[in-house]
Amino acid sequence: MDQSWELVQEGLFDYPLADRQRPALLANRCNKCGKTFFPKRNLCPDCFEDGNLEDILLDKRGIIYASTVVHVTSPVGIKAPYAYGYVEIPKNQVRIFALFTGSNPLSFIPGQEVELLVETVRENNRGQKIIGYKFKLIS
Amino acid sequence: MTQFGKHPAKSLRSLGLEACLNALRDASVKPKEIQAGYCGNALAPALQGETGVGQNVFWEVGISGIPIVNMENACASGSTALREGWMAVAGGFHDMVIIAGVEKTVMPKGTMLNVGGGELETQLGDVFPGYFSLIAQKHMEKYGTTREQLAKVSVKNHFNGTLNPYAQFQKLLTIEEVLNSPMIADPLTLYSCCPNSDGAAALILCSREKTRNINGRPVRIAASVLTTGTYDNQRDITGWEVEQRAAQTAYQMASLGPEDMDVVEVHDAFTISEIVHYEGLGLCPPGEGGRLIDEGATELSGRIPVNPSGGLLSKGHPVGASGVAQVVEIVWQLRGEAGKRQLTNPRIGLAQIMGGNKEGDTRACTVHILIKD
Repeated sequence: MDQSWELVQEGLFDYPLADRQRPALLANRCNKCGKTFFPKRNLCPDCFEDGNLEDILLDKRGIIYASTVVHVTSPVGIKAPYAYGYVEIPKNQVRIFALFTGSNPLSFIPGQEVELLVETVRENNRGQKIIGYKFKLIS
Repeated sequence: MTQFGKHPAKSLRSLGLEACLNALRDASVKPKEIQAGYCGNALAPALQGETGVGQNVFWEVGISGIPIVNMENACASGSTALREGWMAVAGGFHDMVIIAGVEKTVMPKGTMLNVGGGELETQLGDVFPGYFSLIAQKHMEKYGTTREQLAKVSVKNHFNGTLNPYAQFQKLLTIEEVLNSPMIADPLTLYSCCPNSDGAAALILCSREKTRNINGRPVRIAASVLTTGTYDNQRDITGWEVEQRAAQTAYQMASLGPEDMDVVEVHDAFTISEIVHYEGLGLCPPGEGGRLIDEGATELSGRIPVNPSGGLLSKGHPVGASGVAQVVEIVWQLRGEAGKRQLTNPRIGLAQIMGGNKEGDTRACTVHILIKD
């Protein structure tokens, strides 16, 4: 029998989490130019082989850069209305695309502080939960 | 080109045949004179399970045996095909080539195109109107652009569409109708988004020497530029650097500036896109796209008419055909053959289209400048 869940994509975060392990996004950083990449890259596009990529964990706190509410069910099966946008991670100087969760979809506004969590994005047609990352407002 | 719209009974081949025949007849060129063919199509492998669309389409008109290339660059597929053909002719490899763009994307009512499924963003729920709504939200936040200004783009383009027999929609819209149509992704409503469409368009491209032997009324390509995104993760999303770069390069190539343009066709897949393209092409300073539409400058009677064809919003958006159809409109306008939407003696026109989202940036952008000498 299939396991009850599947990752939205391999290598974005550890799952399932070990005891007391906090969710974190897996990124890497070029040791020459300092640029951070999420998802991880194989090569720094600016430094090529002059830089080495080092694995890092992104800070769990972010700030909403832009947000919208989608009022139609997405082709992959996420039910409307749902909110998403871009989140800046100030500590790592990187911006990432993310779904928002935990509040009314209309309540996400640029400038608000959000925090990472790992949860079900949707279910696939075999009934498996698709596990992804999202951000919720810090209350 | 063919009429854009719903053509359930027509195949990609029959749509392509119709567009290619129209182009060959218009130029009084025989299929056997064509030395290479370039065909833009984006979605046939995904939607129809058909690959090699270029060979299929060109064979319908009897063009075979010569180099034929299939081009896929999302919404910029057709315009990329044009650029490849232009490079071959400008580079002296061929002196007469055919360019086609063909697509069938009409889906059952209410379904969104399920493409880009291999991308993380799509798996996390990103949809095309959603990405553009983020840009709209940022543009409103940074520059004070209003929902009414966005709606005016759709009202203008639908008006133009009623004057274009090739347009999918022949229907006037009011600002209220645009604003009150169902919300898709805030602030973009249904009438702020282009439809899914079927259609094809074609062009014959030849060297200057060859134009003396044909009966057509040629228009010169003064610039043809293709750029690719840099995927800068932290860029300001209220403008596309990839487009600004393409426009600047095209203006330099043509030794012209935005003030010289008499007619412009842009990639108005969503109302906000047209506003951002005004700014990216330098038709107005950054942040003033909303004011430009308010002033009526981009209407048929305005200082710089944009999307006289009705644009993607009204004419329709058969993805791989759109970039070719924009150039068809510019050619018609420059020749004075644009019927009820004909502008007064335009001499220089520009067509801009871009394709594909990647990491919040655009994969490909083309700009073409055409001149009637």
